[in-house]
Amino acid sequence: MGTTLFEKIWKSHVVVEKQNGPSLIYVDRHLVHEVTSPQAFDGLRMNKRKVRRPDLTIATMDHNVPTNARSLPILDQTSAVQIQTLEKNCKDFGIKLFDINSPNQGIVHVIGPQLGITLPGSTIVCGDSHTSTHGAFGTLALGIGTSEVEHVLTSQTLWSEKPKPFEIRVEGKRKNPHAVTAKDIVLSIIKNIGTGGGTGTVIEYRGEGITDLSMEQRMTICNMSIEAGARAGLIAPDENAFDYLRGRQYTPKNYESLVDCWKEHLKTDSDAKFDKQFTLNINDIAPQVSWGTNPGMTCDVTESIPSPDDFSKGDPNQKKGAEKALDYMDLEPGIPIINIKIDRVFIGSCTNARLEDLIEASKVVKGQKISTNVRAMVVPGSQMVKKQAEEMGLDKIFINANFEWREAGCSMCLGMNPDILSPGERCASTSNRNFEGRQGTGGRTHLVSPVMAAAAAIKGHFVDVREMDLS
Amino acid sequence: MKGNIIKYAQDNIDTDVIIPGQYLKVHDYAELATHAMEGLDPDFHSKVKEGDFILSGRNFGCGSSREHAPIALSYSGIKAVLALSFARIFYRNAVDGAFLLPIEIDQDAYDGIAEGDEIEINVSVNEVKNITKNQAYKMKPFSEIIGKIITAGGLFKYKPDQD
Repeated sequence: MGTTLFEKIWKSHVVVEKQNGPSLIYVDRHLVHEVTSPQAFDGLRMNKRKVRRPDLTIATMDHNVPTNARSLPILDQTSAVQIQTLEKNCKDFGIKLFDINSPNQGIVHVIGPQLGITLPGSTIVCGDSHTSTHGAFGTLALGIGTSEVEHVLTSQTLWSEKPKPFEIRVEGKRKNPHAVTAKDIVLSIIKNIGTGGGTGTVIEYRGEGITDLSMEQRMTICNMSIEAGARAGLIAPDENAFDYLRGRQYTPKNYESLVDCWKEHLKTDSDAKFDKQFTLNINDIAPQVSWGTNPGMTCDVTESIPSPDDFSKGDPNQKKGAEKALDYMDLEPGIPIINIKIDRVFIGSCTNARLEDLIEASKVVKGQKISTNVRAMVVPGSQMVKKQAEEMGLDKIFINANFEWREAGCSMCLGMNPDILSPGERCASTSNRNFEGRQGTGGRTHLVSPVMAAAAAIKGHFVDVREMDLS
Repeated sequence: MKGNIIKYAQDNIDTDVIIPGQYLKVHDYAELATHAMEGLDPDFHSKVKEGDFILSGRNFGCGSSREHAPIALSYSGIKAVLALSFARIFYRNAVDGAFLLPIEIDQDAYDGIAEGDEIEINVSVNEVKNITKNQAYKMKPFSEIIGKIITAGGLFKYKPDQD
């Protein structure tokens, strides 16, 4: 019997395998940021340990960095200390750091692929759940906690139980690929399989609906694998993936011979078996809008807020969750999504702040002004994305429409820096989590694609972007 | 191990309500504990007692990889979380740092155990006993690696070469 892509990558990285037990997995690249690493470095110092492979460890600062001008001082002292601590740790342990003034600084999952650090068939770990993003390149990319960060720093390995392979097939063709995006595909998947639907698995996304996507769109899909509870998401690398990484700053010198090897090995065999399977047909899917407090609480833009009874299908915990979510979101069943007015718009995050996301959003915004009741910001995923966007004049399109044009970072996705919602504010956000208080205490988050967020900024409420000319 | 239950009868308790993002800059664990569960239950800090257990539904700890989540609960006094299922990163974080025990229970235990009930957890026989109601339930056994890390007292005390 054949094996899946996941099993092939796993097997090639096993250092020690225990009978019916866990495996010790080798880590090819370790990405580090300021929030989940300080205690890990403290642990190394306390035990007089070194970083085993500083050459395979790359750090940046993204979670708490302010997104206003880099020349300004960091007013939040605790953030400043966390940033200084990472600088010191990287200096002491010999780790390459893209600091706040580096042209390569950005959200760790945006800069990895952009710099050619992310490679097909390799393993990447990072103390961040959205590490799954890198799976778009056929990379086994695992989010880990701080204890595991310390373990990887000191040993370049990770003890892990083997997840089970889960096939998600995305079939069909979108009628309007500018209006119905990768974000809508992945939200549709999570709406169907639930936030725990992928628990204990590594998802491999397959089918025409996936191979049709650009690399940046594939990253959006893999990024949100964690929102379905999966350990990781994978897409078999193809010419698009190889082209994307070719000639980047850290792309290996022997790249073409690696590509030959990847072409031969990095695919699921035709007779391989998956433990779980789900198929989504995207011929007729609509733009998606989340209405609740987890990414599974999502519906079509053409629909109305469901009643907790309809949503829960008889499950009492689901019903209670929906009631609580509607209360928190200050929404009533039956309200059409397009009638929901918004106060804020956030275009950013490791889910949707790459160049293509900004290009698509700018098409909606060009020549328009945002609604007078809305405050909107664009936070590019990296300084490199920001620079490329500025070279294309996208910054002017957004600024002329009264968007704020910011420096790179995680920003309002998780409310660690000053970019937060005020209590009760409602936000159309291109990020990945609509949890209670995620974007600021009492803030209300609706997850949408970049074009849906841009359109909501212009109109002041949600609109079906399929009615707009986005070509 | 005995303790009293604080019950959150819902699924998908996420890391952002266990410890909101604004506190991820806090390095003092005792201070972190004062903000535990703040996003869901602002009274948690005043009502939690040393040795208490949390009981909840499916997918407990979903979301972020922040180890601050089990740390905040642990330093609040929580010794175990009993849930129908756990998100994987939270589960490993809880065990790796020896912060608390993640105990997977079944629907009967979830339905039968109420707020305030006194519970005894006996992992050697995979049993959760409701002392208040004199009922016993099976817990899902830990996998081999998780059991060994727990027994060792955390990931860095686990010595695989002695297996």
